[in-house]
Amino acid sequence: MTDFIQLLFNGLVEGSIFGIAALGISLVYSVLRLVNFAAGDFLTLGAFTTFFFTTSIKFPFVVAVVISMVLGVALSLILEFILWRKLRKIRAGTLALFLVATGVAFIVRQSIAMLFGSDSRRFEIDQIKSFEFFGAIIPQAQLIVLVCSSIAITAIAIFIKKASIGKDMRAYSDNPSLAAVSGINVNRVIIATWIISGTFGALAGVFQGTVQGQFTNAMGLDLLLSILAAVVLGTIGDAYGALIGGFVLGIVMELSTWDALLGGIPSTYKPVVAFVVLVIVLLFKPEGIFGVKARKI
Amino acid sequence: MTKPLLTISGLEGGYGDIKILNGVNIEVPAKSIVTIVGPNGAGKSTIMKAIYGIANVTAGSVTIHKDGVDHDVLATKPYNLSKIGIGYVPQIENIFSAMTIDENLDVGFLPESGKPLGELKESMYARYPDLVSRKKDRAGQLSGGQRQMLALARALMSAPDVLLLDEPSAGLAPALVDQLFDELVRINESGVTILMVEQNARRALEISTYGYVLDMGRNRHEGAGKSLASDPEIVGIYFGKR
Ligand SMILES: Nc1ncnc2c1ncn2[C@@H]1O[C@H](COP(=O)(O)OP(=O)(O)OP(=O)(O)O)[C@@H](O)[C@H]1O
Ligand SMILES: [Mg+2]
Repeated sequence: MTDFIQLLFNGLVEGSIFGIAALGISLVYSVLRLVNFAAGDFLTLGAFTTFFFTTSIKFPFVVAVVISMVLGVALSLILEFILWRKLRKIRAGTLALFLVATGVAFIVRQSIAMLFGSDSRRFEIDQIKSFEFFGAIIPQAQLIVLVCSSIAITAIAIFIKKASIGKDMRAYSDNPSLAAVSGINVNRVIIATWIISGTFGALAGVFQGTVQGQFTNAMGLDLLLSILAAVVLGTIGDAYGALIGGFVLGIVMELSTWDALLGGIPSTYKPVVAFVVLVIVLLFKPEGIFGVKARKI
Repeated sequence: MTKPLLTISGLEGGYGDIKILNGVNIEVPAKSIVTIVGPNGAGKSTIMKAIYGIANVTAGSVTIHKDGVDHDVLATKPYNLSKIGIGYVPQIENIFSAMTIDENLDVGFLPESGKPLGELKESMYARYPDLVSRKKDRAGQLSGGQRQMLALARALMSAPDVLLLDEPSAGLAPALVDQLFDELVRINESGVTILMVEQNARRALEISTYGYVLDMGRNRHEGAGKSLASDPEIVGIYFGKR
């Protein structure tokens, strides 16, 4: 029972991070029809810039996180203007977009190594302080991550549902040609999408860095497969699905290590579980849990 | 003579290098219903697509004249056309099918119209009571007739001066076609000018103030709606099938 609670807690924490990261990818896909393979490295960037501003410049942690989110947004917008917009104009195909996104991922990752070094880092926060809950150990830092990510998830869910620009985003992803002729400023929708993606990418990176304890410039890349599995599980292009897919995957991955389940798997194999989930979904339910019509990636 | 609300003059254009429109002239007086008919492929839809920047324009002009001011329609960004009083219901995929009926109306709303959102929505629901009980349903679940009503309601949410309708009766069952044309007359009586393209030519021309026959991307005939609808020559050549 204690093990179960422990794994469930870990799964919720990890799942909330997957959810936030998956939401960005799903939203970008739904609006731009672009699978952003660079999203993982934007997570890493958020963690490293937060590390830099707290250690080298001694900004308070929260301030450093906010700056990191702003930087994530700025870089996303720069890429939109110098890259994605131009590729859309020439109607670049799926393969071209895939290659460019992979290239962006590579450049961001290497730039992080160049700017900040490739040693592993650790936030200067209290990683030790913990509570006990039915025998399970609940580290304070992780609890804070879970609370903050839940707030972020609720806020974005309400925003997409209720805000006028949130509705415009859904309208555009539902029927781009009608959106373009019904008073929706498509460029505004695209910019809003990158703002959300940039903000949430940096946030997920800080959360993941906190939960992992230490991280290198490969953190986001290591996580990308799991995030993509969450995206596909929750139906690609469906923002709410991505959040739920993240939680489901986080919990499944943690519980897969549970002793009570045929001994469980070694925890280093957790990414394999994500891969298995991804393959199973693609084979048997490619439209994801919530998909009504099959959308091919 | 008063200036027409919408004037299309010498419009030429098409898709890429393919020229579809070879000089189209259409005048839409304020408060009128004007219908464009013509054979398949004549370029009827292309006129509306040219206004919305979906087809390219190589020559000609489109002007909307209201409150004593001329606005250059072709120089206006498509998403700003609702701000100068133009609404558009495309021929196909004219609703947001994954969104609810209520959200479709929200998306159509234009704050600049000066009318409150709630009031406009109320008036749409009063007009289309079928939609009231289905506010929270996805629009994709509606029947063909209800979809068309929602498409009209969405466009009316921006309180347009002129509505461009591309084949509003396409795909509707015969009984619904009558309802739709009655509805268009009601919309027009509420002060909205209508420019439509219709396959159901005779029926459309009967309710129209004026009609144009388009062929090969140019004006071929024109005249008062009723006279065009009963002109034996035109009926024979262009809509003998109906
Ligand atoms: N996106 C496009 N690219 C290239 N050609 C197109 C495109 N859309 C339409 N056309 C061509 O332009 C011509 C005019 O099409 P348009 O849709 O304006 O005709 P229409 O008068 O509306 O006919 P219909 O009664 O069939 O709706 C047709 O020959 C059509 O094949
Ligand atoms: Mg047409």
